[in-house]
Amino acid sequence: MLIIGEKLSIIAKRVREAMMSRDKGPIQEIARKQYEAGAGMIDANIGPAEDGGEELMEWMVTTIQEAVPLPVCLDTTNYAAIEAGLKVHNNDHGIAMINSTSNDPERFPMLELAAKYNCLIIGLTVGKGGLPADEEERAAIAAEIMARAMEYGVPLENLYLDPLVLQIATTQDQAIKVIRAVEMFQQLNDPPMKTVVGLSNISNGCPKHIRPILNKYYFLMLERVGLTAAIADPVEMKEAMEEKELFEKVLQGQEIDDKEKMRVMKKTIDVIMGNTLYAHSYLEM
Amino acid sequence: MALTGVEIFKLLPKTNCKKCGFPTCLAFAMKLAQRQASLDACPDVSEEAKKILGEASAPPIRPITFGTGDKAVKMGEETVLFRHEKKFVNPNAFVLEIKDTEDDATVDSKLNDVLTSEINRVGQLLRIDGICITNESGDAGKLQSLAERIAQKAPEVAVMVNTENPDAADAALKPFSGKNPILYGITEANAEKMVEIAKANKAIAGIKAQGLEAAAALTEKVKGLGLEDIVIDSGARTASEILEHNTYIRRAALKKNFKPLGYPVINFVQRDEPMYEALVAGLGVCKYASIVVMSSAEKWKNLALFTLRQNIYTDPQVPMQVEQKIYKIGEPTPDSPLLITTNFSLTYFIVSGEVENSKVPAYLAVMDCEGLSVLTAWAAGKFTGSKIANFIKESGIENEIKHRELIIPGYVAILSGAIEEKLEGWKVTVGPREANALPAFLRQKVA
Amino acid sequence: MAFAEPKEAFPGQVVPVTIGSEIQETFGGENTLPFHKFEGSVPNRPLIAYEIQDVPPEDWPETVRKVYEGVSDDPVKWARYCEDELKARSIALRLVGTHPDSKNLSADDAATVVKGVLDAVKVPIIIMGSNHVEKDAEVLPRVAEVAKGRNCIIGKAQEKNYKTIAAAAMANDHKLIAMSELDINLSKQLNILLTQMGFSREKIITDPMCSALGYGLEYTYSVMERIRLAALAQNDEVMQPPMLGDVGMYVWKIKETQAPEDVLPEWGSLEERGILWEAMTATSLMLAGAELLIMRHPRAVEYTERFIDELM
Repeated sequence: MLIIGEKLSIIAKRVREAMMSRDKGPIQEIARKQYEAGAGMIDANIGPAEDGGEELMEWMVTTIQEAVPLPVCLDTTNYAAIEAGLKVHNNDHGIAMINSTSNDPERFPMLELAAKYNCLIIGLTVGKGGLPADEEERAAIAAEIMARAMEYGVPLENLYLDPLVLQIATTQDQAIKVIRAVEMFQQLNDPPMKTVVGLSNISNGCPKHIRPILNKYYFLMLERVGLTAAIADPVEMKEAMEEKELFEKVLQGQEIDDKEKMRVMKKTIDVIMGNTLYAHSYLEM
Repeated sequence: MALTGVEIFKLLPKTNCKKCGFPTCLAFAMKLAQRQASLDACPDVSEEAKKILGEASAPPIRPITFGTGDKAVKMGEETVLFRHEKKFVNPNAFVLEIKDTEDDATVDSKLNDVLTSEINRVGQLLRIDGICITNESGDAGKLQSLAERIAQKAPEVAVMVNTENPDAADAALKPFSGKNPILYGITEANAEKMVEIAKANKAIAGIKAQGLEAAAALTEKVKGLGLEDIVIDSGARTASEILEHNTYIRRAALKKNFKPLGYPVINFVQRDEPMYEALVAGLGVCKYASIVVMSSAEKWKNLALFTLRQNIYTDPQVPMQVEQKIYKIGEPTPDSPLLITTNFSLTYFIVSGEVENSKVPAYLAVMDCEGLSVLTAWAAGKFTGSKIANFIKESGIENEIKHRELIIPGYVAILSGAIEEKLEGWKVTVGPREANALPAFLRQKVA
Repeated sequence: MAFAEPKEAFPGQVVPVTIGSEIQETFGGENTLPFHKFEGSVPNRPLIAYEIQDVPPEDWPETVRKVYEGVSDDPVKWARYCEDELKARSIALRLVGTHPDSKNLSADDAATVVKGVLDAVKVPIIIMGSNHVEKDAEVLPRVAEVAKGRNCIIGKAQEKNYKTIAAAAMANDHKLIAMSELDINLSKQLNILLTQMGFSREKIITDPMCSALGYGLEYTYSVMERIRLAALAQNDEVMQPPMLGDVGMYVWKIKETQAPEDVLPEWGSLEERGILWEAMTATSLMLAGAELLIMRHPRAVEYTERFIDELM
């Protein structure tokens, strides 16, 4: 399992300020922490970055790779910024990844870059306008992205299909459909297609104290069906892997010693599977 | 039951020859699973695969087209019972009944109602889709002359001929032969003759049964006689029968894969009063009718029914969008505040509602972001500094207001610098994150 | 192939709610989808309440304002008219005059109006604030007290003010409308919070927020259907209260109920259009699960009742 550290995102205030003032300290500190917790790649999300995106991405890639021996996942809709980042990327630390292409024509040029720089690329299975209704629609879009990747000369082993994790607080029914999509994507090719998710979006909009719980158990449910990579908090994912055996038991309906943990796991599984309706206080019911 | 794309793929030749128009067999398989492609497009598929796929890929509710040309109505192909699960596929047809006992003036006035029924609502052209000519007189000649009158005066409108008398059916169907009409009135007693007439005129078989069991038996019989394009009238007439029958038919087709009821449904909802009739027609719209036959088509009634149909058949997955423009709320003056948001309709409804609640007249700039909400649109690069600046410049609002202040949603506070840079002379103010804080915010602003 | 009716039975049931004292009305209580008498039990018909308000309805469009000419200047007269002439089964009094942007009437003013109306009529009463979060939290506890013993519905409690309002409803033995904004998960959350403070789930009416035909009706419709399925199929207890469609308020402010025929001839008669708009919004929401409706125009109510007759 490849964990792509999610913490360097412009949405976080501290990161944004460091990006704007080009202060390497916080960026490198966060990169290092994620590396130590087991991240295999670092996501650099600079937002749409309409202005000065190229220079910012260059700076991010260099700053991160100065601190940790990892490849970077270049996360922006700005094509030029991605290319700028790829040019300075140190491939001795691994192959870079583009985040992302999709079935929206605006995003097709990203495949050109992936072919030109022979790097990895995420294919987000959404089209123009509207979200996919279920795993079948996601797979249909995935098939189109795969075909397009081949046209552009991107080898399928460099393509990571992303089913787009949605917020459980507003679109609960999609949680299980994403799990099924991850299973289905793998069958789209032999050897199986690689898959990736932006994990933490599952708990976006949920109260702070339940976010890690949802993130961890959702991750374990995806992991067991063969997910290849996750953009996530490496610290949480490390904890999740430590609970993996217990979680599997609970999922199989077995008892575990820690009754409180069992209750939390069961309730969370029910919410993810859509057996009970999500509410912020679902653990208290 | 329906196969998944991957299961279908296993049955395809896997040559990636592209003759089907898709880049790979897999892509084609996925489209087949979505029912967005037809197996006929593959020239190399084996007979065995064809058989398996043919059975499995037949939609549980048969697709049927009523009428021809631009105004033809597609029916059937539904996949769910509740619209939040997945989009209801083919909006029902509204059909106006004209009887052969009605005088020419009444007939012409009803025809006129149909021909002038078209209205444009949120970008869709909506209309009364068809006419049902009913053999009320029992006389074949009368029905025939009504049919001829209608074929001449309303040649583009889809027609359904309503009679149990094969002679009348034969005479009245002729003018519509080849235009996908419906021959309604096929019963256990007349099925043999009527199906022959329907076939000769390329008509859809409209079966008339008493109850669901009888309806199922009758569709089997009609199918046995060689006609597969069928629409079902189960005999339901009261609202409670319509709800029961339509629910059972939809469930039987979708959940039990019960083929004899896997056809579109006709509901007859005629009532004495147009307003009340509209409510029963609305039941048909909400609950699974493909054709709703009514006795009148007043403009106000049509508007409400067209709107309901549009609402119910909106894709819950595609966020409904409102038109990009600057909306006036209350009666704003050149000094009134200007706010901006995205065109996700729910965002628009809530934001405009709260601005209304504030009682502060204002301009609300609604920007086309493909129906995404504010934060999602920003992340997707659709709600960015330069795009907002362009929209504001091109909207012409600068000629309407005196000030140069734009209020942006709190969630995209990050954009304020970028907008100010690109929109010279403007000041950007960060508004609240949630719409319900708008009334207080706006009142304080103008205080 | 033999046909067998594909009946569905559900483990869950909607809570029946009874309101009123001298005259009582009950709604909810079904163990099946709306009006599915053919496969379950639907013991009570939906209840329609006539909407009246504490101040004259100046912002109601002509079509519906003129019906109440001569009585709408006084809530007591207005209530009597609904009970005596219109044979209202229930009346919903909205205290819009308490809104700070309206007349900013005080809690005491509101209490006087409520007392007057309660003394004048016998049918069950729904008492609603002005939907101003802070002001409602002041006004509703006071009127709940005045209405003690009448087994009313008080509302609306929202996430930001539910504690005071629910406490008042509890102390004075009333039912409570719990409103959230078109979000099934927040709706569940609010009901959980209410039950956690000791408010009985059997006294809640869920308001998932109404929208008018053509103005987001499909959102309300689907949220209602999903709430109902959670209540019945998942047997989710906090989702089992009956639901409110606050129809009139949303319908009589949109363009379709106000634009004159001479301006928009393709829309036909304004009068008929407005009335149908209200009735059709109501009947559609009933088909999605609403058991309590608040409406304004007597003809819209009449047609809606007839529709219920035909379905019951």
